[in-house]
Amino acid sequence: MTADDPRYAEEVCRRMASLAGAGRLGPATDVIVGRAGDREQGAEVVLYFRVESGRVAEARFEAFGCPHFTAAASWLTDRLGGAGRAELAGWDWREAAAALEVPAAKFGRLLTLQDAVRNAAGNWSGSTASTV
Amino acid sequence: MTNPIYLDNAATTAVDPRVVAAMLECLGPSGDYANPSSVGHAPGRRARARVEQARAEVAALVGADPAQVVFTSGATEADNLAILGAARFYRERGRHLVTSRTEHPAVLDACRQLEREGYAVTYLKPGPDGIVEPAQVEAALRADTLLVALMHVNNEIGVAQDVGAVGRLCRDRGVLLHVDAAQSAGKLPLDVERDCIDLLALTAHKVHGPKGVGALCVRREPRLGLVPLLYGGGQEHGLRSGTLPTHQIVGLGAAYRIAAAEMQADAARIGALRERLWQGLAALPGTELNGHATRRAPGILSVTFDGVEGESLLQSLPGLCVSSGSACATTSAAPSYVLRALGRSDRLAQSTLRLSLGRFSTAAEVDCAIETIAAAVARLRAIAPGRQA
Repeated sequence: MTADDPRYAEEVCRRMASLAGAGRLGPATDVIVGRAGDREQGAEVVLYFRVESGRVAEARFEAFGCPHFTAAASWLTDRLGGAGRAELAGWDWREAAAALEVPAAKFGRLLTLQDAVRNAAGNWSGSTASTV
Repeated sequence: MTNPIYLDNAATTAVDPRVVAAMLECLGPSGDYANPSSVGHAPGRRARARVEQARAEVAALVGADPAQVVFTSGATEADNLAILGAARFYRERGRHLVTSRTEHPAVLDACRQLEREGYAVTYLKPGPDGIVEPAQVEAALRADTLLVALMHVNNEIGVAQDVGAVGRLCRDRGVLLHVDAAQSAGKLPLDVERDCIDLLALTAHKVHGPKGVGALCVRREPRLGLVPLLYGGGQEHGLRSGTLPTHQIVGLGAAYRIAAAEMQADAARIGALRERLWQGLAALPGTELNGHATRRAPGILSVTFDGVEGESLLQSLPGLCVSSGSACATTSAAPSYVLRALGRSDRLAQSTLRLSLGRFSTAAEVDCAIETIAAAVARLRAIAPGRQA
């Protein structure tokens, strides 16, 4: 946790400052999309993955949510670079919780992120046709 | 690192240096530190004189007689003493209370405690502008209604209730009126006699006095009974036992004396700053003011930014000291019950900031705050799903 705000880990603050990976990938045959959450419930995310040779070559995110949720979405765009479909399908939210020192009260938000990753895996067809 | 811009004066204020100076005279070996109850020696009598001077200064601000002022640890204790004390003293007279859904927890939790003791409480829902109309209070009164508790200025949205109209209504019906004036004393005119207020909760730290001291004004004619919360030395006519903290009480008195002298000028200047802040923020799309546009205290502004999550907005403003619309941003995202009572959805309540100005706020700070918030709102909206490409 940071010295000036014990609610957030340094990685959360760093991610919120840079918003690395924020943005969207335009519709294309090699782009898959995963969505989850509901803004009315306080957390919504869209993940974009460009796939090359069966691996994630580029990832982007759009998010509405608390700093832990947004930072975790940003972190995921790095973490899942190079991942295959099976890795996306099996990705577990606890990895982000540990990496970003997310408090237990926010675990539910990370489940939303897991849902989005798995939704993307479900949209990952053999031809990686875009679902945008 | 430069100091952040402090726009959280509804939470607490910096102590005015003139108040600090007065308090320091009551501390240290050469100060008036003696126990004000020790009137058998000169230092004790000097301390007592300072306490009584402060009592007169508190009374003067709110149109009370000094004998009505009971010093407490703050408004929370004053609210509890008023509500629990009156309800328990007059329990044979009636067991029904009326309050509003947007009261401070010090009032709501005291009412809930009375419910556990067998009392009934009616919680009035304010209009979308945060106003509780006197007619709503009148409609809620019953034959067994003992007390109405209504705050003067709401701590989250700054809306001011017409406590005078409610006071006259209650007086006509023989019902006690308790007013929490923590956010209004020293900022808006108050007069317990004119406004027919039987019990008035006050605090120092919202008006550039110290934390840890406040007062309850208790009607004396006819004398109003209260069951105390604390038992011990019998200070404050037996209503609040415990050694009187001279330096704190002197700080309260000094803060109120200064507020009384400068209220008009402060209100005009702070009100203009608030308007400047609102006009700057209102220029952003999807921005909405919470609460009545004109019936409000000068310093408090509650603004909803549609499409922005409140905790992330707050985290994106490290150079600003402001509050979110969440009850507790630390562990839960529970939306503000005040904003929900006004009809705001959970999402909009969570997309809300409270900005509150004080005596030491400046136009330069306001302009910087507008610029900083505008940039953060735009940045967070840009990464939200569903935006226009």
